[in-house]
Amino acid sequence: MTDTVTTTALSKWFGPKVAVSEVTIGFGPGVTGLLGPNGAGKTTLMRVVAGLQRPSQGEVSVLGENPRKTPAIYKKMALVPEDEAIYERLTARQFITLAARLARVSDPEGNTQRVLETVDLVDSAHRRLAGFSKGMRQRAKVAAALVSDPEILLLDEPLNGADPVQRAALIKLFEELGTAGRTIIVSSHVLAEVERMAGRVVAMVDGRLAAVGSVETIRGAMTDRPRQMFVECSDPRALAGGLIETEGVVGLQVSEGQLRIEASDAGAVALAMPALAVERGVSITRLEPSDESLESVFRYLVDTR
Amino acid sequence: MVLAVHLYKRLMRKGRVISLLALASVPGFVYWLAGFDSDPADQGALYSDIITNVGYTYAIAVLILTVATLREERDGGTLPYIYMRPIPRVTLAIWSIIAGIAAALTIAVGGWLATVLATLAVGADLPMTLPGLSLFVAAAVGYAAIFVPLGYLVPRSLLVGLGYIIVIESILAEVVTGLAQFSIWRISVSIYADLATVLGDEAIEALGSVSPGVGGGVLKLTAALVVGLITLTLALQRRDVL
Repeated sequence: MTDTVTTTALSKWFGPKVAVSEVTIGFGPGVTGLLGPNGAGKTTLMRVVAGLQRPSQGEVSVLGENPRKTPAIYKKMALVPEDEAIYERLTARQFITLAARLARVSDPEGNTQRVLETVDLVDSAHRRLAGFSKGMRQRAKVAAALVSDPEILLLDEPLNGADPVQRAALIKLFEELGTAGRTIIVSSHVLAEVERMAGRVVAMVDGRLAAVGSVETIRGAMTDRPRQMFVECSDPRALAGGLIETEGVVGLQVSEGQLRIEASDAGAVALAMPALAVERGVSITRLEPSDESLESVFRYLVDTR
Repeated sequence: MVLAVHLYKRLMRKGRVISLLALASVPGFVYWLAGFDSDPADQGALYSDIITNVGYTYAIAVLILTVATLREERDGGTLPYIYMRPIPRVTLAIWSIIAGIAAALTIAVGGWLATVLATLAVGADLPMTLPGLSLFVAAAVGYAAIFVPLGYLVPRSLLVGLGYIIVIESILAEVVTGLAQFSIWRISVSIYADLATVLGDEAIEALGSVSPGVGGGVLKLTAALVVGLITLTLALQRRDVL
């Protein structure tokens, strides 16, 4: 699919500190998770894409336009900023209606009601934002961003402070928007969240792109790292005895009822496993890769830097 | 318009408005104190002396108010809610300056009303206070035109603004003739001086080398507005918002 947001050799520095370095990437419809530890440059990248900060070098294009030069693009793009900044004196309804009016949305009141229902804030809409919990503020910010029905939505740590129920609801909402063809870019340092909602992951470390793709693709491309497998079986010691001679096994760790395998060729090991189990009279109750989660992949990426 | 109303409401917080109205009312208060002991024939001159000299407190009130127009949004991190809208930057700048002017005018009316009340209290002629309104209004427009962009551009804008009012307008413009032409306060006083029927010696001294004249004053204020607008527009276009 065509990319709606692209950056070309994008760099942003503040004095001697380089926040984003030579990032060339495209974002298209669907949910993309922007992942990285604190200070990786996620927020700066989002701000530059949003037009809030000028690139020090390189270019940003949103639907073919430079957001710094074409304010009209904000009819189609919205941002939920990371910080807690919000108009505390306004009620949730006033805040969202203000966003609607500034965005020149037709029927501001009607659209405000629509997004309040979407984020489940109707009952609290009359309350001042100052009295809102962090999670409720996040939802109000998401509602303010959604009120103009944007084609591109930038979400900087949108689940911060939200309770589990709110998180689940917001993740579902972002997934639905992505499925509906919107470009949703979600930054987070909570890996499980990104893994849950994003089909594509962009990992950043020290201002640079560390990896792009699905979690499986990224892990698959990391050929220099042995794959880890976890086996639960009746006799791990006996199974380990057979595996040690199997080609591709580079490490084994036995504990009670469990066996951890490090393999340079996980496929070959998995294929050899059933025959070995039968031969040694071991019954396997569980066999799974233990390092294909986003967390493992991300740890690898950070460690290699 | 929505933007100007939003910014205006944000500026006009109760606590701030009360304290700034108090500051802007200082000339009225001083006139009330001084007016009781003065000769009724001199009250017109006294009024002009006080509002043109003590009126700097109003300038400071307008400074405090107008630098906050976009600075508060920027420092508070809420500027993206305004900036990321399909509004041309020049329009954003225009509405911001209008909001600053409207807020300054609100304080202006308060400051002027204080002088009206003081005039009533000392039993002087009420009509002499009418030109005083022109001084407050002109200063509101002129200061908002330069302080709204200053607030956006400079983190310590309050300090820089105070430096402008105290060092440049009050001290340097006294001795450097050319500098007086760029003093918003003196430009405002020149409009007042053209409209006032009586001017005291200190009011004439406050005017310095600037000639009285409504036309010239309005022209200079218009120039200040244009410069402020261009500066703010360019700043919104070129500088990082956060």
